[in-house]
Amino acid sequence: MTDHAALLAGCAGGDRQALRALFEAEGPRMTGVARRILRRHDLAEEAVQDAFVAVWQKAAQYDPARGAALGWIYAVLRNRALNMLRNSAREDLTAPEDIDAARESAPMEDPADEAWERLDASSRLRACLEALDPLKRRCVLMAYVLGFTHGEIAGRLATPLGTVKAWVRRGLGSLRECMS
Amino acid sequence: MTLDVLELADEYVVGLLDPAEEAEVEARLADDTELAAAVDAARTRFLELDLTAAPAAPAPAIWSRIEAQIEGRIGERASPVAPLRPPVRTAPTPRRAPPWRRAAMAAMAASVVLAAGLGWQLSQPRPVMIAVLIDAGGEPRALVEAYADDTARVTPLGDLDIPAGRTMQLWTKLPDEGAVPISLGLLTEVEARRLAGPDLPAPRPGQLYEITFEQEGGSPTGGPTGEILGKGFARMPR
Repeated sequence: MTDHAALLAGCAGGDRQALRALFEAEGPRMTGVARRILRRHDLAEEAVQDAFVAVWQKAAQYDPARGAALGWIYAVLRNRALNMLRNSAREDLTAPEDIDAARESAPMEDPADEAWERLDASSRLRACLEALDPLKRRCVLMAYVLGFTHGEIAGRLATPLGTVKAWVRRGLGSLRECMS
Repeated sequence: MTLDVLELADEYVVGLLDPAEEAEVEARLADDTELAAAVDAARTRFLELDLTAAPAAPAPAIWSRIEAQIEGRIGERASPVAPLRPPVRTAPTPRRAPPWRRAAMAAMAASVVLAAGLGWQLSQPRPVMIAVLIDAGGEPRALVEAYADDTARVTPLGDLDIPAGRTMQLWTKLPDEGAVPISLGLLTEVEARRLAGPDLPAPRPGQLYEITFEQEGGSPTGGPTGEILGKGFARMPR
């Protein structure tokens, strides 16, 4: 088992081998996570690159008492990928039509549903997602796995924005209670 | 913890806030411990979904670019401007020692650890906290003795089967609002073991200890994901 906390401590101390080990252990899966959000491999790689630079710079801020190191690392990545997604959509920096086209052509394979179906059979998160109303589950997964905004979910589900916001809030609340 | 803080933390972690709201949450995180704890808990809750992503190998050039960017940063830090972070070693990484030397060093290190462990056992035999882990049916399933320096001795109680392909993992949760479970280590066999956990505050009364069944190698998320064998709160031995 990779000791992510020890590798982060290594990064905080300036050990580049620790960052390299993290990159080898998590780089491919992190690229997979970013690709679900950005829908393009080259953009996903860019997000991963930025994330590792940020991990290196901010490793000293990681506090083991506040959660698993892996969660911290993926939070850095998700933050970067979601920001890239928003910037590309808003500022027309990187051929947004490519991203939108890729995002629109995606519904054949559904990474959002796939994500929770691939959870371990004994996982509590899986059981709690299963217990959710299917539409609320779908909203939560579209937001977390694909990085959709409330507006994008409403568009995809052809449902009023207010309704989607309420579904998301209730879905998240039920998950919180179920997992606690 | 108030509902609006929990909802805000969830929406922040899931990525549903608009940039202005997000910036506000990030500004609050440094000082608002309640919000920070809720964010940590939400991250732990959802991390498993990220770990289901199909791996997609990044091009080898990505690592070179990361290195180049880091070297740039090191150069910046070495500039006369006061560094924001402690200075970082800039010398090239030393070559690895030849295998025989590594083996010799490992053996030496092992004996030092053994000696240190023996000394420690003789000087600090008493746990600071003890927890009896109870299952859903009220049966005691394990005893946890927690020591002041981040080790815990776990003794399974009674008959116990580890399901095939699973391992037991010991967790603790500090008695603070919004604290998240932290792994103290794995138990692959049904036998008493002393585990060395991460650097945490000294165990306190009311601190939760829990054992779950996780996949081999431990929980994929770093937080408990599987069925609970038992849990219990720490009490001070008299």
